[in-house]
Amino acid sequence: MAAMLQPQIILLKEGTDTSQGKAQVVSNINACTAVADAVRTTLGPRGMDKLIHDDKGNTTISNDGATIMKLLDIIHPAAKILVDIAKSQDSEVGDGTTTVVLLAGEFLKEAKPFIEDGVHPQNLIRSYRTASSLAINQIKEIAVSIEGKSLEEKKSLLAKCAATTLSSKLIGGEKEFFASMVVDAVLAIGNDDRLNLIGIKKVPGGNMRDSFLVNGVAFKKTFSYAGFEQQPKKFVNLKILLLNIELELKSEKENAEIRLSDPLQYQSIVDAEWNIIYDKLDKCVKSGAKIVLSRLAIGDLATQYFADRDIFCAGRVTEEDLQRVAAATGGTVQTSVNNIIDEILGSCEVFEERQVGNERFNIFNGCPSGQTATIVLRGGADQFIDEAERSLHDAIMIVRRALKNSTIVPGGGAIDMELSRYLRQHARTIAGKSQLFINSYAKALEVIPRQLCDNAGFDSTDVLNKLRQKHASGEGANYGVDINTGGIADSFANFVWEPAVVKINAINAATEASCLILSVDETVKNPKSESAQGEAAASAMMGRGRGGPAFRGRGGRGMR
Amino acid sequence: MALAFDEYGRPFIIIKEQEQKARLRGLEAQKANISAGKAVARILRTSLGPKGMDKMLQSPDGDVIVTNDGATILEQMDVDNQIAKLMVELSRSQDYEIGDGTTGVVVLAGALLEQAEKLLERGIHPIRIAEGYEMASRLAVNHLEHISQKFEFSVTNIEPLVQTCMTTLSSKIVNRCKCVLAEIAVKAVLAVADLERKDVNLELIKVEGKVGGKLEDTELIYGIVVDKDMSHPQMPKRIEEAKIAILTCPFEPPKPKTKHKIDIDTVEKFQTLRQQEQKYFDDMVQKCKDVGATLVICQWGFDDEANHLLMHRNLPAVRWVGGVELELIAIATGGRIVPRFQDLTSEKLGKAGLVREKSFGTTKDRMLYIEHCANSRAVTIFIRGGNKMMIDETKRSLHDALCVARNLIRNNSIVYGGGSAELSCSIAVEAAADKYPGVEQYAIRSFAEALDFIPMALAENCGLPPIDTVTAVKSQQIKENNPYGGIDCNDVGTNNMKEQNVFETLIGKQQQILLATQVVKMILKIDDVITPSVY
Repeated sequence: MAAMLQPQIILLKEGTDTSQGKAQVVSNINACTAVADAVRTTLGPRGMDKLIHDDKGNTTISNDGATIMKLLDIIHPAAKILVDIAKSQDSEVGDGTTTVVLLAGEFLKEAKPFIEDGVHPQNLIRSYRTASSLAINQIKEIAVSIEGKSLEEKKSLLAKCAATTLSSKLIGGEKEFFASMVVDAVLAIGNDDRLNLIGIKKVPGGNMRDSFLVNGVAFKKTFSYAGFEQQPKKFVNLKILLLNIELELKSEKENAEIRLSDPLQYQSIVDAEWNIIYDKLDKCVKSGAKIVLSRLAIGDLATQYFADRDIFCAGRVTEEDLQRVAAATGGTVQTSVNNIIDEILGSCEVFEERQVGNERFNIFNGCPSGQTATIVLRGGADQFIDEAERSLHDAIMIVRRALKNSTIVPGGGAIDMELSRYLRQHARTIAGKSQLFINSYAKALEVIPRQLCDNAGFDSTDVLNKLRQKHASGEGANYGVDINTGGIADSFANFVWEPAVVKINAINAATEASCLILSVDETVKNPKSESAQGEAAASAMMGRGRGGPAFRGRGGRGMR
Repeated sequence: MALAFDEYGRPFIIIKEQEQKARLRGLEAQKANISAGKAVARILRTSLGPKGMDKMLQSPDGDVIVTNDGATILEQMDVDNQIAKLMVELSRSQDYEIGDGTTGVVVLAGALLEQAEKLLERGIHPIRIAEGYEMASRLAVNHLEHISQKFEFSVTNIEPLVQTCMTTLSSKIVNRCKCVLAEIAVKAVLAVADLERKDVNLELIKVEGKVGGKLEDTELIYGIVVDKDMSHPQMPKRIEEAKIAILTCPFEPPKPKTKHKIDIDTVEKFQTLRQQEQKYFDDMVQKCKDVGATLVICQWGFDDEANHLLMHRNLPAVRWVGGVELELIAIATGGRIVPRFQDLTSEKLGKAGLVREKSFGTTKDRMLYIEHCANSRAVTIFIRGGNKMMIDETKRSLHDALCVARNLIRNNSIVYGGGSAELSCSIAVEAAADKYPGVEQYAIRSFAEALDFIPMALAENCGLPPIDTVTAVKSQQIKENNPYGGIDCNDVGTNNMKEQNVFETLIGKQQQILLATQVVKMILKIDDVITPSVY
């Protein structure tokens, strides 16, 4: 862009940064590789965590690929695509977020030498697409179905899948404990799609093993008024009334004003107000419910009124918790206390207020519909519990996916090695350039077992060679990395299992992303908006400045 | 973030404001984290044990706190480092869960980190270390269970409970009268405990303090003490067999919540209004009288007119009593909180044997004692002491003691203190280490070594030669095969903790080990720290 002798034709606003051609593709690849390197070490049971501290002072310690990618706050346009695929993997299957970033990074890395050698990116893209569809078909063929097993068998199979996910997390030490908890929770909510039916409550303090599963709903004691402690704290076989109204002495209409001309009428106004609230309370009591929950405040008056009549109440219950109570107990949330009939009351077997750590918890157990579950997590530090929650979320997603798409594949890098072998074999049957590309795709797949070894401190070349040999021999399709000894082992027999859908989705998303990045050959970056001009100009001098968000869609429009 | 370069050697910017972020990776990150954790542990180390020292902390707005309680020290230190914050949370969660042992848990975590550093230098994978620690912690916890003893106690025989609370209090500034305080704590907990459900709601124990008097004057009141006095100085100061009306409505003419306005356009109307108002006061007082109340406790204030009227009608009253206290009074006296005068009935009155106003020393401060209540499920511990700092520290110490008593009610197993439990675990873990093949064996052995740090710190704080003392006790433990040998901090002459009556709760000790291991694992697992380099 140096000054030339000819008069310069200025098409774009000053400060706009454009780069194009082969160099651009290569530089995008470099950026993506750098990002993949950031999450590389979190893969597998010996993966490490990242501590990310943002400017607001929040600290997150995580092993979850999607969480890390989100917190890294990446602005490089091409690298941003990797963040997106991690997110999509997270929302689609919940787990394998590190895998997907790693695979995409590796696909691009393998493509780089070809690009540098002058291969047309579209050629590569076409081969990659073929390879990915071949790989996915192969996964479907290898996958083992767990359909048609008895409930007990299924439970233990699902627990195995959950344990595989959890093994790489901070709570890996107690993976069996949490895996069975997760499976119980998921089976409890059955086929219902609403994930928020599984509540996770975090209570700092205690040991991981003090975490427990409630077959119903649990939530922290809400703010209470004087009189609350006089209410009974334990019920057996009770009815629950769920409300969405305030039970407080208050003005009925915001802007109403009463004008009295006769002072003698004063008392009647006061009485009228009291009657309104007493009427409401009376209806609640008459309904026969022993517990009254409301999303809005239950005032001190109501608290004492209920205490007088041996009824438990809790106001300001969060929407989410109230919905879960409704789902669990079979009640419906009312917006009026008129016409309360038996059908809209929820019921449950045992209600108790219990001390958990430093908090008191309201626990509803033995609910008729059994469609909810709550996991109360305990742990030494807030960050610890946060990370445990993320890990459990992953495990819950995995179990749910495994329930729906009940096919599983061996983990520990076994499936990746097998796909790699299959693709290499297939490549040999193809004539033309494509053979090379598919071969490199196959090589890229090996990154998973390689990284597993690297993270555990084993000699990855050695282990990979052993694995390649085993897989090539034809009968070792289930062999993966043995993380405990540094050798190879039959992942299937060791119960290192993953749902097939995780792998399918990961390969799909990674291929899509790498194809997308390969197909971009020009970036046009608009200068920063006026306010930040000074800063942007300064950084633009040193190279690519920080750009405004999302412009890759506009990439081609600039000069053509 | 490592910089990436494009084909012209120009750096990319991948992360937002990349140049302002500091990043530590790999071993370097672990080392930095470990040293931060160790630094925190070092601060608390001198506070451990009966001869531990206190820390004086000054908050930004000048309040001074003198304390020996680990959780409080860390809370007030306001640390900035992320890893140090984890240690703070560690001690906080020990505080939440157990209430005691908040110093010990941090010291243990520090020791584990120090050991881990050595292993890291030998090139052992951090996760292998963490896994080894986890195995070792499980061994230690099981061993604790093994050496623990059941403590039988009943409502009549509270001596064992008092002994355990005394161990907790002995490390605090109040150890001068630990006997009295321990007994108070135990009695208070037993009064509110639900022994069948093994549940203790500590909220029912009110801890009130007042500057002045001696620490020995601290007392347990089976009832409630309120920092209030009668609304009129001429009201009786002592009421026996009181019937208490507990009101949440003010002694004022009721006001509708809806916006209202009374149009007064004639003199007559004004007169009626005035009369009505007076009638309200009259009715209210009369209502209280009618149901037989001899004392009125009110959450709100009263009009001077009402005050005068109450005085006149010989009905003592207390005003501006807070909601929490009101509730406690209601629980203690078995009364009901009444929201308006119309609802007042004689069944809703609370009953107390004696209500008296007590003044202290030469000050004009007066407090109201409500004693001999119908239901003593709410109690008050009333602390006296020379200055405010002392009282605050006593409150914290008592909280620890209350928690210990509560834990014993939940689970009556105990282990012996004075570092004996740690030493015994250390011996057991070390012996078991040899059975594990692989790298973990080293980690387990290091864990055993880290456990020795607690008796070591205890000995150090007592001015004993740490290595001599700990090794002597350890060899004695092995030789005599008794797990009761600990550090003789008070120079009693024996290091058998069973004879010295130094106990700690089993769950407290187990929790310490588990929590410390958990946090250490978390710290070891971090290999990448990204922070904004400028705060």
